[in-house]
Amino acid sequence: MGNWERLVWNQRDVLLAGFVVTVEVCAIAFAAAIIGGLMLCLMRLYVPPLRLVAIVLIEFFRDTPIFVQLMWVAYVWPEVFGFPNSFFNAGWLALALQSSGYLAETFRAGIEAVPSGQREAAFSAGMSQAQTFTRIVVPQVALATAPSIVNQFTVIVKSSTLISVITVPDLMSQSQKLVNVWYEPIEILTATAAIYIAFVFAISLAGKLLADRLRQRYGLAAS
Amino acid sequence: MRVFAPKPSVPISMSDVPSIRIAGIHKSFGPLEVLRGVSFDVHRGSVVSVIGASGSGKSTLLRCVNYLETPNAGEIYIDGEPLGTCVDARGQSRPRSLGEINTMRRELGVVFQQFNLWPHMTVLGNVIEAPIRVRKVSRKEAVEYGEECLRRVKLLDKADEYPARLSGGQQQRAAIARALAMRPKAMLFDEATSSLDPELTDEVLGVMRELAADGTTMIVVTHEMNFAHEVSDRVIFLHQGLIEEEGPPADLFGAPKSERLRQFLSKYRK
Repeated sequence: MGNWERLVWNQRDVLLAGFVVTVEVCAIAFAAAIIGGLMLCLMRLYVPPLRLVAIVLIEFFRDTPIFVQLMWVAYVWPEVFGFPNSFFNAGWLALALQSSGYLAETFRAGIEAVPSGQREAAFSAGMSQAQTFTRIVVPQVALATAPSIVNQFTVIVKSSTLISVITVPDLMSQSQKLVNVWYEPIEILTATAAIYIAFVFAISLAGKLLADRLRQRYGLAAS
Repeated sequence: MRVFAPKPSVPISMSDVPSIRIAGIHKSFGPLEVLRGVSFDVHRGSVVSVIGASGSGKSTLLRCVNYLETPNAGEIYIDGEPLGTCVDARGQSRPRSLGEINTMRRELGVVFQQFNLWPHMTVLGNVIEAPIRVRKVSRKEAVEYGEECLRRVKLLDKADEYPARLSGGQQQRAAIARALAMRPKAMLFDEATSSLDPELTDEVLGVMRELAADGTTMIVVTHEMNFAHEVSDRVIFLHQGLIEEEGPPADLFGAPKSERLRQFLSKYRK
């Protein structure tokens, strides 16, 4: 147990600092991905002139490997667009872009899955298009897609390990630094893997509990 | 292209104005002509049942009555006022905007075959939603009247349940309460019992009978011949998008004139 104490427990501050950065990057990326995904989805469904733009962006974000996107945002964007101004910002932005493509499609599927009778019942009662969308469609989409949205958070967490490549001091980056100092990868990397597993498992569990609760309460076929 | 039906003759007094006038409704889906000129009046407090085989255009007709489907020609009048068109400041007739149609269609309560309750709201939430958002009544007032509507359909004890927890019959009664809560001028029933078991059908038909007895103006598209026979003031038999025969239920069911209606009814007597 000596190695575990020396390499992991005694280095817990370093690992914890890395974990905090991981959580920060993932949380910001997740929030940005939801906003971006919503905008792309609404553009695709309801703004005909921008539909093609939305489709191209969604496909681009989904079809490019996350590593390529990360490099592209970190090294090309600052030259071409003048931002992001730090690797931290490049990290969450690249993660958010890719997830926004996936979430846009999740939202679209959710909107299209609301039966037409739901809208017709609202229109028949004299509700406007806007009222029908905000009061009838959006809550049902949110309920039906909540588990998928939570799942996308786990994808972000797992992808986030790549940002260590652009020198963001996340958990993976900190753990590699420790390995390079001690040349003892077994305990450090195993501990790192355990932290990621625990984090992702906790998120998945929260998603599953949410899905069960929604199914039980609203009888919705949560995906 | 939309062809507008001529205005109905000027009524002498309000009591002569039918609650709903269906005037020369045509509706096609692509090459398929579903309605080929259907006209009839529904007077205040009366119940009109529309019967006919599947594909005869019954449901399409009902959907045209509140403009869920826009008729290709013809017009719907609610208390004498055209639903799809209005006269602008220069005296020109023009199609109503979607917002204006929404304002008009709140006067018609619709009950669908598939209930279409909003699953993310409780039963009471379903009932008070449109009165609060559309009629702009206070929440307190909406809840009070909503509970009265639920009492009418004998569902007050389920007010706080979500639709998924209700049986089909209960869901349909909740949907009836939701429509009633808007204090509509007339209720439209689109095969309201077709997706229910016989046992559940009876509880919904029971509520509909009570509404009819209370003097609710109703158009009922139905396969329930007993209901049409006993409750209606007038029965319309649709065949291939046209009214084949119409009249009081005793005449239609007792002495059908058309061969097609005789054939149609014989299937139900077997």
